[in-house]
Amino acid sequence: MMFKDEDPRLTAYILDELSPEDAAEVAALLAADADALEFVDSMKETTQALAASLQNTDFDSDIGEMRRMRIAKAAESASKQSAKRLALYAIPFVAAAAVLALVVLSKDGSQAEHVVTQASSNSSAEANRETFGRRGNRAPAGEMESSTGLDSSKVKSGLLGVFALHGRRGTGTAAASVDNEVNGDTGNRADAYRPSVPAAEPTNGLDAQTRRQMESLGYYGGEDLPIQQIQPPPEPVAESSFVHVVKDPLSTFSIDVDTASYSQMRRSVMGGWLPNPGQVRIEEMLNYFSYDYASANTSAPFGVIGEVAQAPWNSKHKLVRIGIKAKDIEDGRRRRANLVFLLDVSGSMNNADKLPLIKKSFGMLLDALEPEDRIAIVVYAGASGLALPSTAVAKRGRILNALRRLQSGGSTNGGAGIELAYKIAQDNFIEGGVNRVILATDGDFNVGTVAREDLVQLIENKAKQDVFLTVLGVGMSSHGDTTMETLADKGNGNYAYIDTLNEAKKVLVDQLQGTLVTVAKDVKLQVEFNPKRVAEYRLIGYENRRLANKDFRDDTKDAGEIGAGHRVTALYEIVPVSEESGPELRYQKTNRQSTAAADSDELLTIKIRYKEPTGTKSKLFSVAVADANTSFSSASVDFRFASAVAAFGMVLRHSRYKGDSSFAQIESWADKARGSDLFGYRAEFVRIVRRAKGLQR
Amino acid sequence: MTDKNPNWILSALALYEKPLLRYGARLLGSSEGARDIVQETFLELCKVKRASVESHLAPWLFRVCRNRALDVRRKDKRMQPLSEAQDLKIESPDDSPHAIMEKSQDAENLLGMVKKLPESQQEIVFLRFQSGLSYKEIAEVTGRTVSNVGVLIHTAVKTIRDNMMRSGDEPNALEGAL
Repeated sequence: MMFKDEDPRLTAYILDELSPEDAAEVAALLAADADALEFVDSMKETTQALAASLQNTDFDSDIGEMRRMRIAKAAESASKQSAKRLALYAIPFVAAAAVLALVVLSKDGSQAEHVVTQASSNSSAEANRETFGRRGNRAPAGEMESSTGLDSSKVKSGLLGVFALHGRRGTGTAAASVDNEVNGDTGNRADAYRPSVPAAEPTNGLDAQTRRQMESLGYYGGEDLPIQQIQPPPEPVAESSFVHVVKDPLSTFSIDVDTASYSQMRRSVMGGWLPNPGQVRIEEMLNYFSYDYASANTSAPFGVIGEVAQAPWNSKHKLVRIGIKAKDIEDGRRRRANLVFLLDVSGSMNNADKLPLIKKSFGMLLDALEPEDRIAIVVYAGASGLALPSTAVAKRGRILNALRRLQSGGSTNGGAGIELAYKIAQDNFIEGGVNRVILATDGDFNVGTVAREDLVQLIENKAKQDVFLTVLGVGMSSHGDTTMETLADKGNGNYAYIDTLNEAKKVLVDQLQGTLVTVAKDVKLQVEFNPKRVAEYRLIGYENRRLANKDFRDDTKDAGEIGAGHRVTALYEIVPVSEESGPELRYQKTNRQSTAAADSDELLTIKIRYKEPTGTKSKLFSVAVADANTSFSSASVDFRFASAVAAFGMVLRHSRYKGDSSFAQIESWADKARGSDLFGYRAEFVRIVRRAKGLQR
Repeated sequence: MTDKNPNWILSALALYEKPLLRYGARLLGSSEGARDIVQETFLELCKVKRASVESHLAPWLFRVCRNRALDVRRKDKRMQPLSEAQDLKIESPDDSPHAIMEKSQDAENLLGMVKKLPESQQEIVFLRFQSGLSYKEIAEVTGRTVSNVGVLIHTAVKTIRDNMMRSGDEPNALEGAL
């Protein structure tokens, strides 16, 4: 062998890639030729420098939690699939087991490997040919067939721990090749080798079941659908109807402090059209307003009242108003906050009522925070990224600068953004503090290649680790509405809709405590009606917050959160027991065995279960509500106002229970129930109703 | 004896996640894009029989990942390979492979030299010296022959060696620096 510096065997020798014969030849050359030796030495140093510099990059990226979950799920279902197939092929399995026994018995490792390679090489070579054929770059078959052999240099190099798997080759592969023998269909395999072929293509060997399975996982291999868009089903929630107390004396639901539906409705009406009935959530309209509820005077984090009076839209019915007020937290006593703003900066956020509004709103929030609170900003669009690492509020300039720099552009991939935001929140976790991700978006929300359920699950998991979520919606786009509500709900958070700077001030500044500080979580309400006094009842609103009665005691069932100073209002419309309330039953009694309490003037009992913000066991307390036969006009101001808001919601929803309600009636009820109205919200409501009246055809 | 255990995919993920992400990020110039294609790679893995891939898992994964990356690049011509794609600018500094690589001066020089190589050589250099694949595995990933891979690696290493010598940076001195 002559020394030629373009001989690739010299590098192959350095990298331990030569066959023993070739290696011996090169070694002989090096022993004889000083130039060759010098050349190979310098080449060796170069390879070492290359390996050192290319590997010495403590690469910190990982695939992310949601993608990991998604892969785990796919692996799970794939293995179930394979187990099923295996059962169908029980007989070949026996034969294959014999091969396995042979392999295991063989003491010589390389021998075992040989057998195994033989067993699987046919199919993989076929797969290779298939792939290379399509690429137009076909490798000689012989070469590929030998490629499954183990190369000693790989183990030696051990560069990235990449080859740890190979350590178990002997038995691991043997067991695996049994599976291969059993399921000898090569169609799938060839296909998998060429992943750019859309999975939905019917001819590529994927059976319909696999395809369905993949689609159900939200995975589309097709090039045309690289990103799965969240498209919430436009299902308007059916309103609750009347329930016979005899049939079901219990009504259970989760509280809800969201207010988004009200601001959306306002924007719509003020903009000149009545809102889409499916978007009207009466509970969110009720809870937009503060009512004068007594604060907690007990150890519980909130106080509860019940009030009964005549229903304004049906004089034969009564209304029960249930009011909950969470205790306030003195300003100085608020726990330290670790907030991560997650901002949608995609192209659709460009309007003045979106990103610019959000920026201004966060500027206001900044003023309301304490210097030692922390803020980070994560943006998402085509890619997600950290625009501002967690920074103390004291460094206002830096935060404002980061906000100012943000520009919109690109498409949205919210999934990666959410993940990053939660990571930052956890990295800066404040023990016993307020740890919260605040997501601002117009709801044009897609989560990249991640399935929606995974996103919801991630948010749920993080909520269990005490990082909560607040969702701020902006802009007119409504199709993300349901998604936003679900996300906030699962993230132990709240969902508010910001249409004006004023609304931003209300949500982020005036109600800062409520938005940021959760005083109780998983708050569930159960009302038990006295069958001697109530014939039928109907919960107004809270349609998507209803719970099964048994879930009331089930601490694993998630429910709504309540923030400091928050008020929650729920209204029941009831049909009192009277001669007309139904046919007399001949064969059974309407109420089986009544307790002594049933004979009292108690109408119902409110039971509330809640957990402390970081607790896991629920606590219970209850309040009985009596009926004093109050007329609507002598009911409290708050009662009358709440009734008007509920009636407005029912009219907007074209509810069949709206009774005598009309925009004119509602305007008059609300106008007379404005009370002190410190911030002018009630006066605004009256204006909205008046405007709605004008819009009516 | 059956292959009911889905854990082999998860152990493969644990082993190859970072090497593949690094590889993908280099091919696409975007860490986020790399996450997408690596996820897709492992979803592909879920669809094949363990036996058909396990004996050559590393090249299989790299190959699938590479195909995906090429698809993405074909689709999105704006994305320039091996350059700072605009979306990297808001990437966390720790996440950007480029930023990390530029930590050390020597690494930067060497990396600069690698980046001047023809792309076919660059790819193989990364697969060999960063991902640690053998010639045979690289052949399988890139669809070349083993001897072709050998020639490309040899040429690349020789070019870099010559560059280092020309810049007066003796390989001997470099070893001390590393």
